[in-house]
Amino acid sequence: MKNVIEVKNLIKEYKEIKAVDNLSFEVHEGEILGLLGPNGSGKTTTINCLLSLLNYSSGSIKIFGKEMKPDSYDIKSKIGVVFQDVAVFEELTVYDNIDYFCGLYIKDKKLRKQYIEDAIELVGLEEFKKFYPKQLSGGLLRRLNIACGIAHKPKLIFLDEPTVAVDPQSRNNILDGIKKLRDNGATIIYTTHYMEEVEIICDRIIILDKGKILATGTSDELKELAKIEEKITVEINELQENYIEDIKKSKNVDEVKYTNSLLLVTYTKGKNNLVELMEYLKENKIKYNKIYSERPTLNDVFLELTGKELRD
Amino acid sequence: MFIHNFKYSLKTLFRNKELIFWTFAFPIILATFFNMAFSDIENSEKLDIINIAIIQNDDFNNNEVFKSAFEEMSDKNNKDRLFETKYTTKEEAQKLLEEEKIVGYMELVDNKPKLTFITSGINETIFKYVSEEIMQTSNIINNLTEEEIQNQIMTGNFNVDYESIYNKVIEITTEENVKLKNISSDNLSYTMIEFYTLIAMVCLYGGILGTVSINQNLANMSNQGKRVSIAPTTKGKVILSSVLASYITQLIGVALLFIYTIFVLNVDYGNNLGLIIILALVGSLAGLSLGTMVATTIKSNENVKTGIILSITMLGCFLSGMMGITMKYIIDKNIPIINKLNPANMITDGLYSLYYYETLDRYIFNVVSLLIFAFILIAVSYISLRRQKYDSI
Repeated sequence: MKNVIEVKNLIKEYKEIKAVDNLSFEVHEGEILGLLGPNGSGKTTTINCLLSLLNYSSGSIKIFGKEMKPDSYDIKSKIGVVFQDVAVFEELTVYDNIDYFCGLYIKDKKLRKQYIEDAIELVGLEEFKKFYPKQLSGGLLRRLNIACGIAHKPKLIFLDEPTVAVDPQSRNNILDGIKKLRDNGATIIYTTHYMEEVEIICDRIIILDKGKILATGTSDELKELAKIEEKITVEINELQENYIEDIKKSKNVDEVKYTNSLLLVTYTKGKNNLVELMEYLKENKIKYNKIYSERPTLNDVFLELTGKELRD
Repeated sequence: MFIHNFKYSLKTLFRNKELIFWTFAFPIILATFFNMAFSDIENSEKLDIINIAIIQNDDFNNNEVFKSAFEEMSDKNNKDRLFETKYTTKEEAQKLLEEEKIVGYMELVDNKPKLTFITSGINETIFKYVSEEIMQTSNIINNLTEEEIQNQIMTGNFNVDYESIYNKVIEITTEENVKLKNISSDNLSYTMIEFYTLIAMVCLYGGILGTVSINQNLANMSNQGKRVSIAPTTKGKVILSSVLASYITQLIGVALLFIYTIFVLNVDYGNNLGLIIILALVGSLAGLSLGTMVATTIKSNENVKTGIILSITMLGCFLSGMMGITMKYIIDKNIPIINKLNPANMITDGLYSLYYYETLDRYIFNVVSLLIFAFILIAVSYISLRRQKYDSI
């Protein structure tokens, strides 16, 4: 598989703090690579280094097989970036904003006009072309931010937390748009701290913390790193200590927690656990309201690897 | 690319209400206030002849320049008469001053005017200004005379007629250059001085536009700047087109001020409007360069940078006489280097010189000083902008 990005031993230091600590990874052509990590894990710094916006202490970065430098205009012409913070001009309309940024890449006015219309359609801003940014809702503004970054139809797209503070409807719209970009042949690097998003759209995931790569793989591969296979949650108003001790002794049980009327039982293996737990509760005449089973999430993997939640 | 960026830079500047207010509206509002405030003062003081006294000592009696200048300005047949002058002893002058029959008196000591006042105001300022100007003219004449004498001695003529040389120099200086124009209540306009400093302020406000333009293109200053920085365009081209858009916007602001003051407030800029416009063009360039320098060298947000430029501008205008012309004289006399480096003073002084001198020497000096000022700041900005990557953004 062809690599679009190759990063080797990248280190970025701020005085004595290593924001990026010896990162090495590749991004394959046509994939969506998720950079997953809590705030301050080094995701944005890594992207800024890749884009040659930031000096880095050591390491090498190759994009499209060439070393990335501030004056690598041939590489830059194939890159699109959607920054974490909305980067548009308050004084320009939706259409003018997209036209301005697209115009930095596409000189042909006719072609640019077509590209702008395509971008507006992709993010669903057809009805807001003449609106100014301050007239748009948070979700629409984010969509405009994306349109400005991808209107020139780049082959490589960096999306840095594009769905922060976005309502669910806009988020779904944005995620659908990102999938369309990938389907149209773009390679995408997607940073977020929303694990559901990477599970939905990313082909591969890199989990970052404190500037280091903790794990790399597909969503399923990463979940296998977790020592648990199943989590069962039961809503019980009152539960005596002896029952908790009994459940702990059950087969495959890893851990039992009872807090705020919720019983959480985690299992190392995942067969018939739900049925067996329900039978135990019935036998002991323990009344419960709700019971449900879950597979481990990437958050569990992260918890496993770092001892802390992703959304710190 | 250049035109594309230029077009959108103009659009963003013209749609930025805050910038438009400071660049276009604020100077016009200020001009209106100046006109309302100072035209009344001027009308009330226009026909007033200033009562002064001159100590009639040997220094004064032997100084032809001072004697003839004050005689002319006190001549009752002169329709532009400025002073009612009493030639007295020091004691008499002090008594007249204490009785408030004169605004002040002048004593020549070693050919330097020593002025005594009890209060300060426009009349005292005019008296002081006139005395200073006469002294400068006197110095020039003396220097030229000494030079001529030295020349004659060097060429072997030891039979020097001092008086004829002196008179010849006076004749030359009166006819050709360094001649001080008639300073009368007609042309020494307090309002004009205010308008000059206002023009200087508007020119230097271009710095705010320069800062905004630069910030929009720097990755470490704005989110839009990040987008521009990762685009396949040279930084120089993008910044140059943005700065040009700022300069044009700035010039439109200056033009609006001129149009408003000439056609609405009926301000008379005299016969030198072309030269005044050149000075405004160069002054605006200096203002813009100040903005680009602040934007590229100071690591802070846009509000702080704008605050710095406003502070420099207002301080510069204050020192060059915006809140009272006396300040300009205090600085010119005691710490001249400040006003030599003060771009606001370069602009106002250039305008004064067009008004008060028949030659362009002082005007040209100020224009060249502004160009040097702009060149140095642009060079500093360029060096800062050459850096393409940042340690932090």
